[in-house]
Amino acid sequence: MIRIKRLRKVYPNGFVALEDVDLHITRNEFVYLVGQSGAGKSTLLNMLYRADVPTSGEIYIDNISLSGLAPKQVPYLRRSIGVIFQDYKLLPKRTVYENVAFALRVMHFSRSRIRRQVTQVLELVGLQQKMNHYPSELSGGEQQRICIARAIVNNPPVLLADEPTGSLDPDTSWEIMQLLSKINARQTTVVVATHNKAIVDDIRKRVVALEHGRIVRDEQLGLYHA
Amino acid sequence: MIRDFIFFFSEALISIRRSGLMIAISIATISVSLVIFGIFLLISANISNLSNFFSAKLEVRVYLKDQVAQTDIPQLKAQFESMPHVRKVEFIDRDVAWDDFKKNFPTIKLNSILSNNPLPHAFRLTVSETEQIPSLVTSIRTLKTVDHVSEMGEYANRIATFSKYTRIAGIILVSLLTMATLLIIVNTIRLTVIARQDEISIMQLVGATVSFIRWPFIIEGLIIGIIGAVIAITFLSFGYSLLVVKFQQSVPFVPMLFDQMALNLIYLTVFALGTILGIFGAYLSVSKTVQHY
Repeated sequence: MIRIKRLRKVYPNGFVALEDVDLHITRNEFVYLVGQSGAGKSTLLNMLYRADVPTSGEIYIDNISLSGLAPKQVPYLRRSIGVIFQDYKLLPKRTVYENVAFALRVMHFSRSRIRRQVTQVLELVGLQQKMNHYPSELSGGEQQRICIARAIVNNPPVLLADEPTGSLDPDTSWEIMQLLSKINARQTTVVVATHNKAIVDDIRKRVVALEHGRIVRDEQLGLYHA
Repeated sequence: MIRDFIFFFSEALISIRRSGLMIAISIATISVSLVIFGIFLLISANISNLSNFFSAKLEVRVYLKDQVAQTDIPQLKAQFESMPHVRKVEFIDRDVAWDDFKKNFPTIKLNSILSNNPLPHAFRLTVSETEQIPSLVTSIRTLKTVDHVSEMGEYANRIATFSKYTRIAGIILVSLLTMATLLIIVNTIRLTVIARQDEISIMQLVGATVSFIRWPFIIEGLIIGIIGAVIAITFLSFGYSLLVVKFQQSVPFVPMLFDQMALNLIYLTVFALGTILGIFGAYLSVSKTVQHY
């Protein structure tokens, strides 16, 4: 599903964010990217949905090379990748329903299809009762659920999560991770960048550890620390 | 597609509501520029109208002295006809000319000023070439029966030169104004783009194409352009009709452009410029402001 070859990223200020990264993630896999802040987790995720481009090396998603992608094709890549963030990135002046529907509007879905899919996904994340609320009226965990709903509403094959539990309490974090596991079980490849040790050690999955831009450990059903 | 259009349109309205003051300033600027553009077009149209009025370029009018009797007319006519380069000679009876004059300028109460016809008998000579007019005029002036000679061609030429220079000056003025207006629209739309940067980045995140992102702003520019143009046209048409009335009262012998078709064409041009400026300004500012993939 995702293949990364000899990836290197140097920022204009000379900071080497990633160095010689090789990674292969198969279809429907669930992977934790762990490591300290600045280890390169976010940089790696950003390059997967082409919010950033590598200095050298290659990324293939479904055998499509991202470096060969024309700027015009990027929107279509994004439609097959859902992304969620620590800060949710919701539109404050729109309701829960509108925030999720927004993603489908962009893809020219019909009104009835938007209604059907948004209702379905809000049910999946457990927000069907709060459809007409505004994000500011909801808790952090609920806001993260809106973000997840928006990311998966069109059933993309890949879901990327950048510190999804970064601003949530332990119980809520656990619920969010359970939700991501549930999504993974619905034929979606999930990559989660996190430094939430409790979660990684509790919900055991493949763990890829980054340190100073290099992969230092990659193990199935791993722990946060070796 | 209609549902996309409805979405774009409502997005544009949301955006206009949020940055009301800047939009109002933009509309005011575009209106002022379009009014000046319209004034230039109206002046230009009137000058060319005036020039047409005089543009019997190949015409020489010979006014006869009062003592010339009606019986001498055929002989004089023959004399003019025998002159070189004269193609046609037409006699204008003073009474006919006076009736025509009164008909042409109904606003002047001539009968209250003049008791009898002040016009002399005249001949209208059509000349085959403009260059021959001066020599012809000199030779006609030597005739004893002739009071004076007027050639309209000279006026026509002067007006044509004048209209050429006003046109050049107008084009320069209008292009500068158009540039300035365009810059203001570009900046206004850019501010609304920046105000919606969060939304735009989310749209890009979920896979919106650049043209999808651009449309609401294009519509916003279009709305600004249309409102600005409508204000300008309202101002111009009221102003012009008011001016025409005043002008006809004070200088009634200068013909002004009345033709509603020609005026409508001018207003349509103003409208087109407004909408084009709005759309083009929006296009430029989104292209410059929205980050590309």
